[in-house]
Amino acid sequence: MLKNALLTLIALAIAIGGGGASVWYTLRAQDGVGAIRIGQWTAFPDIGTPAADPYSKARVAREGVLALGRAEGLSFVAERDSSGDTLKRECAYRIEGGLPTARFWTLYAADESLGVIDTGKQRPAALQSYEVMRQPDNSVAITVSGHPAPGNWLLSTGAGTMYLVLTFYDTPIASSTGLSDIEMPRIQKAGCDA
Amino acid sequence: MRRLLHVVLLGLLGAGIVHIVVLMLVPEFSERDAWSRLAMASDLYKMTRLDAEAGGAPVVKSVDPLFYAAACRFDLTDGLVRIKAAGRVPFWSVSVYDRNGHNIYSFNDRNANSGTLDAVVLTPAQMIEVRKDLPEDLQGAIFVEAPIDEGIFVIRAFVPDESWKPIVSRFLSQSSCELPDY
Repeated sequence: MLKNALLTLIALAIAIGGGGASVWYTLRAQDGVGAIRIGQWTAFPDIGTPAADPYSKARVAREGVLALGRAEGLSFVAERDSSGDTLKRECAYRIEGGLPTARFWTLYAADESLGVIDTGKQRPAALQSYEVMRQPDNSVAITVSGHPAPGNWLLSTGAGTMYLVLTFYDTPIASSTGLSDIEMPRIQKAGCDA
Repeated sequence: MRRLLHVVLLGLLGAGIVHIVVLMLVPEFSERDAWSRLAMASDLYKMTRLDAEAGGAPVVKSVDPLFYAAACRFDLTDGLVRIKAAGRVPFWSVSVYDRNGHNIYSFNDRNANSGTLDAVVLTPAQMIEVRKDLPEDLQGAIFVEAPIDEGIFVIRAFVPDESWKPIVSRFLSQSSCELPDY
């Protein structure tokens, strides 16, 4: 009798614990269902629309997100560099390459909650396309670092995990189905503060 | 031993069911969704700044640091809602969300007449009523037909640099979200 009760308890514990934990885990993971990956960049084009999958819907409800609409823009998040290491705030990175068509774009360095890093200085940890210099072939090269750098410099300070968020505004890629053909810049590690 | 294996398998099956049930219930019972957060910050038909710039923590997450945003909640059972914002900013965009925070309509300044924001959100039934006799001052407005009751209207405006901050702030603070009587 007691053995039966214990076995029932084990089954219930696995069911409730396992079910709850698996939902929590999938909602926290950055690349979930419905993600589109281009190089190191991940986007959720369907998030926040009625056509989204149940995981995206739960994410929207849990985090209080008001996702960008199709006519507004599309946001990409990178959490790893091109060699597969997670991005760190104490490291310097080089972002190079062409970008998809858009009226303009913004790039910012974010912490775990995807909010912008507070640099504690006048200069925010954000750049936008009207203020960057371009290469002769219209591509861009941006240095992400805590130390001033020539050319385009994105300030990042502190230590710990970093995300890079690249958002394109008023862009055809948000509404077209050819999302897989677009080119996104590479993220290469340039060195770290010891 | 076989009993234990049986119990573990049963537990895993149960975990699958619990996974699906919890996933479906999260949107229903979330008290942290955008609507609830906005409801804590302000009333219906009141434009509220979403970014942290206006003081305090940002109301709703994931706002671009180079953007200012404002939102108002509305209920179409009270009648249609009209949103206006005067002034010129480098870029603005607008989204209409339903009660669950799903984006159901969006447009930007290139879609608007002369670049000024003047929009009306209404249900298809209200649209038929308005079409019968279109009021003079609604001629230039963008009509957003939405089959919803409660919803959220969000204006986002781009702040290219420091010097634009007061202008974009004024653009959002002068924006209005009201129930006109027609």
